[in-house]
Amino acid sequence: MLNFTDLTGLTSVAVAISAACLLLPGIAGFTRIQRTTLLAVVFVLALIPLGGIPLAAYVRGVSGDLSITMLVLLCCALLMPSLGCNTEDIKARYVLLTLIALVALMLYPLALGFTSFDPYRLGYGDTWFIAALLLIALSAWAFKYYLIASCIAMATIAWAGGWYESDNLWDYLLDPWLAIYALFSITLRVARIFSNK
Amino acid sequence: MILRKVDVRHGLVLCALLLAVVAAAFKITNRPPLALFQMPDIDKQSSKILPGMQSQFVSHTQNIHTHAASLVELSDGRIRAFWFAGSREGASDVEIRSAVLDPVSNRWGAEQSIVNRVDTQRSLLRYVKKIGNPVAHRATNGKLWLFYVTVSMGGWAGSSITAITSTDEGVSWSAAKRLITSPFINISTLVKGTPFNYSDGSIGLPVYHEFIGKFGELLRISETGAIIDKIRLSSGKYGLQPVMLITSSQQAIVLMRHSGVSPKRVIITTTGDVGKHWSPTALTTLANPDAAISGVVLPDGRILIALNDTEQGREVMSLVISSDAGITWKNAYQLEDQRGSLMDPAGYGKIVAELAMVTDERVTDPADYGKSARRTKCEDQKCGFEFSYPYLIQTRNGDLHLVYTWNRSFIKHLRFTPSWLKSQLERSADAQLY
Repeated sequence: MLNFTDLTGLTSVAVAISAACLLLPGIAGFTRIQRTTLLAVVFVLALIPLGGIPLAAYVRGVSGDLSITMLVLLCCALLMPSLGCNTEDIKARYVLLTLIALVALMLYPLALGFTSFDPYRLGYGDTWFIAALLLIALSAWAFKYYLIASCIAMATIAWAGGWYESDNLWDYLLDPWLAIYALFSITLRVARIFSNK
Repeated sequence: MILRKVDVRHGLVLCALLLAVVAAAFKITNRPPLALFQMPDIDKQSSKILPGMQSQFVSHTQNIHTHAASLVELSDGRIRAFWFAGSREGASDVEIRSAVLDPVSNRWGAEQSIVNRVDTQRSLLRYVKKIGNPVAHRATNGKLWLFYVTVSMGGWAGSSITAITSTDEGVSWSAAKRLITSPFINISTLVKGTPFNYSDGSIGLPVYHEFIGKFGELLRISETGAIIDKIRLSSGKYGLQPVMLITSSQQAIVLMRHSGVSPKRVIITTTGDVGKHWSPTALTTLANPDAAISGVVLPDGRILIALNDTEQGREVMSLVISSDAGITWKNAYQLEDQRGSLMDPAGYGKIVAELAMVTDERVTDPADYGKSARRTKCEDQKCGFEFSYPYLIQTRNGDLHLVYTWNRSFIKHLRFTPSWLKSQLERSADAQLY
């Protein structure tokens, strides 16, 4: 029987597979209906069992469940052509990606054992860690960085509600694929700024 | 119009934040507080006399790669063993097998398959490439847990831990559940050491990480399988397969396999506050060839462990004992010693056949045991012995049960009593002190 957390995990991967279709050559020439149909078909195909498990499950075996922040950004990418989702959030998006890149550079090496301190442990429910995180979200809201505040709020709500298999808040905030994307985007942006000078 | 849109968004995001604060507060306040270690309930007055140490094979399937056994006592005193077996280690046909020992007849029942790669993959709804290292445990509420590692990509360093449970003593098992223990694609947490219970019914599971860093960790898992906490037992690149030895409700010793360079010695760390803090790791006096160890704390407080107590190879398996919390060790009994027995397949097969007959009087086809061991332990016309991955438990009646991998082909079981152990220690009063 399908667990709720399997459903959410597979759906997150299916969303990512659909979003990946936006990178296909020639997709920019599609009409809105053609694009929506393609994304919907790919999403459904990713969830149809092949050889016992769906295509999304093969990807999930390697990717793990995708973070809520990743899902928010993917949904923005999927909806942007239809709704103009993030036109006013470009600055907030880069601030968010910068935060993710910095946190990833701290979290992953330490979690893999570079020192005796394990920040991943904090995500199982450390009061001070979660209080600090929510303060950051509140500050982001006060300075009108709504994307950052929303991602932290939604990740925290999902963690508290048991949205995924993971009991660790870090897994809702970021994942390695998002970290790679953030590092790549920020590096590219910095390189562009320097090349324009 | 734009101003109104921003105002609405401002309000909506604030609502989401307030909801997040309430949800997080609810989750944090429901997190179980720290609990004490639960001491095992062992009959200290056990006086049952067994005729010495009894040995036999748990597994009997020929020509198959067999490894990594663990044991758990069932509610009626029977013992259930688990191990993995397949055409080779890491092959897609590897499955977790089990058999039950009737302590009265002292006979193991037929081995049966508990779970395999395909079952696990379907249950987890994730691609699974291979499975291994089953570790069994009985929770305070009586439920049996079986933790094992699954790999979706790469080698064993890419492992994650999966758990299944049974409410009928291991006859039937639940769907598999993945434990998420690492932020890096949830890879590189493995299990080998014996789990234990906390006083509130939660489970302590010693685990280890071996991707880039090699260190021990301790997971605390709720009765429903949620991870409550995780704490590092060591750091660096040389500590694997922690074994938790609980000496009181707040004190414990952890011994770890040494995966670094010489001097290769078993690693030790201790806690005096239920695992909140662990001492810096140190090396014991026990040699360790980067191989698993297993142990128990006897009711009188002494620590008994089974290990390969050499710096190279796994041809030796010993029982050693410490009366001073792991500072000094004394050899209690030499279980196996085939040092220097590197030989050609014909000679190797002959010796393995003889050892098989000594191990289990019910073996009727010793030559086939030789062939099986040759299949897994001979390469380029050279063969070597291997006795590894011990798993030692003490049952409620005081009996000690040890299983270990026998030439990567079979699981060997030894059963002995504290009185037999005492007699061996008296006999070896002048034995080597490490």
